[in-house]
Amino acid sequence: MRRGLWDRETVAILLVAAYLPLALIWIWFEGGDAALSLLLILLILAIWQLVFLLLRAQAPSLSAVATALAIAMLAPRELGPLPLILGVSFGAVMGELVFGGWGRNVVNPSSVALAFLGFGFPGFDWPEILLPVAWAAIPAALIGITLGVMPGPVILGAALAGAGGLALGLDLGEVLPAASVVLVLLVGDPVTSAATALGRWLNGVVYALLVTLFATGWSGAAPVQIAVSAALLASLAAPLLDEAAIALWRAQRRRRHGRP
Amino acid sequence: MPNLALGSGLSPPFPSAPRADAEIRLEITEEAGVVGPPGEPLRVVSLADEGAVVAQGAPVARLRDHAGTALVAPMPARVAHVRMLPGHRLSEIVLFHEAGGDRVAHKLADGGSVRGLMQGAGFWPLLGRRPFGGMPAPDEIPKAIVVMAADTRPLAVDPRLALENRQESFAKGLDALAGLTEGPVFVCQSPGPKLFDGRPGGDRLRVVNCGPRHPQGLPGLRIHDLFPAGIATPVWDIHAEDVAALGELLDTQMAPETRLVHVAGPALRESRLLRTQPGADLRGLTYRLALPGAHDLLSGSPLDGRQAHWLGARDRQVSVMPRENAPARRHWLWAAMARSARPAPVIPTAALTQAFGAALPATALVRALTSGDDEAAMALGVLSLLEEDLALADYILGGQARLADLLRGMLDRIEKEFAA
Repeated sequence: MRRGLWDRETVAILLVAAYLPLALIWIWFEGGDAALSLLLILLILAIWQLVFLLLRAQAPSLSAVATALAIAMLAPRELGPLPLILGVSFGAVMGELVFGGWGRNVVNPSSVALAFLGFGFPGFDWPEILLPVAWAAIPAALIGITLGVMPGPVILGAALAGAGGLALGLDLGEVLPAASVVLVLLVGDPVTSAATALGRWLNGVVYALLVTLFATGWSGAAPVQIAVSAALLASLAAPLLDEAAIALWRAQRRRRHGRP
Repeated sequence: MPNLALGSGLSPPFPSAPRADAEIRLEITEEAGVVGPPGEPLRVVSLADEGAVVAQGAPVARLRDHAGTALVAPMPARVAHVRMLPGHRLSEIVLFHEAGGDRVAHKLADGGSVRGLMQGAGFWPLLGRRPFGGMPAPDEIPKAIVVMAADTRPLAVDPRLALENRQESFAKGLDALAGLTEGPVFVCQSPGPKLFDGRPGGDRLRVVNCGPRHPQGLPGLRIHDLFPAGIATPVWDIHAEDVAALGELLDTQMAPETRLVHVAGPALRESRLLRTQPGADLRGLTYRLALPGAHDLLSGSPLDGRQAHWLGARDRQVSVMPRENAPARRHWLWAAMARSARPAPVIPTAALTQAFGAALPATALVRALTSGDDEAAMALGVLSLLEEDLALADYILGGQARLADLLRGMLDRIEKEFAA
């Protein structure tokens, strides 16, 4: 073999493979309706990918499966088809496709879609993440980190910061299941999370801090709403964290070599 | 302390049949080619007419803008062809082996310099330089020299084997190299016993251990880690075997006749470790070794080798790879629709980080390369790198990103804009 495998679609397939435990447990507990909503979202995403393939010669990506799973698991309940179509379309188009497709986007399309649905249709209830589903986030993270398609420091940094918060006696028990699933599905996205070693640790810590801040100071917010909002803000901060990490790395090299 | 952790890097799998015998054979091919280092062809004046007989070590061409820098015949030979490109640029000088020919002595004249001796004896193309690559200018003084006594390319042979029983020559060569720079001389080696006796180069010589995984044994990543190259701070690199040969040149006045070369690859019946002349004919080296079927002969490793007729000036590997079928033609509609997706976006993974030995912010560098951001790439240390340093990243990304090509374009641009 004269070529390696780590092109965009291999990473997408491995990412979907890592999410499988989470998806299967979720469908097992939520039933056929959940599977149907997943299929509907996948269909909407496929149509938009086809539109961009025809209009902008943009190759489709299997990452749409991961996007669909995240939206299906975390979107507000009982939305009805029209709001769902609107939200998924907004997230997929404005969050990913207009930037050139998966790999060139700066925010996770699922985060954008979920934020749109959450703020656009505030009357609908956010879903509750069941404990077995939250436990399934652990094997998903382990598979993703072992395969190298999920940034390990992001997940470990968030886990350590969360553990620190619990050790300090903060009341995070209610938000923990949703925060774990969102960590794996949205914050652990290899494209939109920080890309430097230090930046990734900071990205995980920032997510955990935001979750803690919202959990303690945002009265009336649902756990999933808190976690999704924290994920969106953490992903917006990721480029800044990378810049800081690179500036620090350059300063260290300048001190050692006298030049970058 | 160096940043490269010994465990970082990758070991890409390239199968090769084992060697049939343990001995190192001497194999002088009937034909050999004198070519310049990879990159821009050298502007030369040919010193040998077609049909003339030349001794081993005799100059067959010299640089047009520096008469003291010569390319020499790797064996006693008859000059078969002198092929030039427009603008007096050298394509190749083809030589036919003449058995029992002479060898030319290269004396270090009274008051002469090691630099002049190296340039006259054909050692100059064995030096690599960063930034931008190619052969150093004849009067360039490097800020540091890196001697590579480690090689982690797939199917590479351990340079320690080439240095067996040559400790004294190696030390003498190191001492001579130290005279070419006022900066440090780094000897990068795999962990193990010392490769030389005494303290050549004095306090300026430093020994650095490399890990076993690629790209830890590449000069680019080592220079990036030890002494970053810059426009005003050129850094040279040279293979340890060539340094030992330099020591022998100073002792015996003879240019080296052979170098240790590993012939390996998936399209061979057996691998071979042999001593052959620089510029050897790759077909001659693989004759009767290749499996039936179409194959490609690469001068260099399976990762960064180039299809070639002759062994490259700095190459110590011949890789024989099965020829890949041309990709099936895609339907015109699909090809048209997918065209804007090229080059495909690079997804940051652990494999990408390890392809750069975890020595630099890989994703940031790849993004700077793909977006053509010269200044950001320079801040990340791109001036220490050459195409060979990105070959592993290109390999793991499936060849879609074409990072090595992007790097060459960027280096040419920087050279034109910043170094003018």
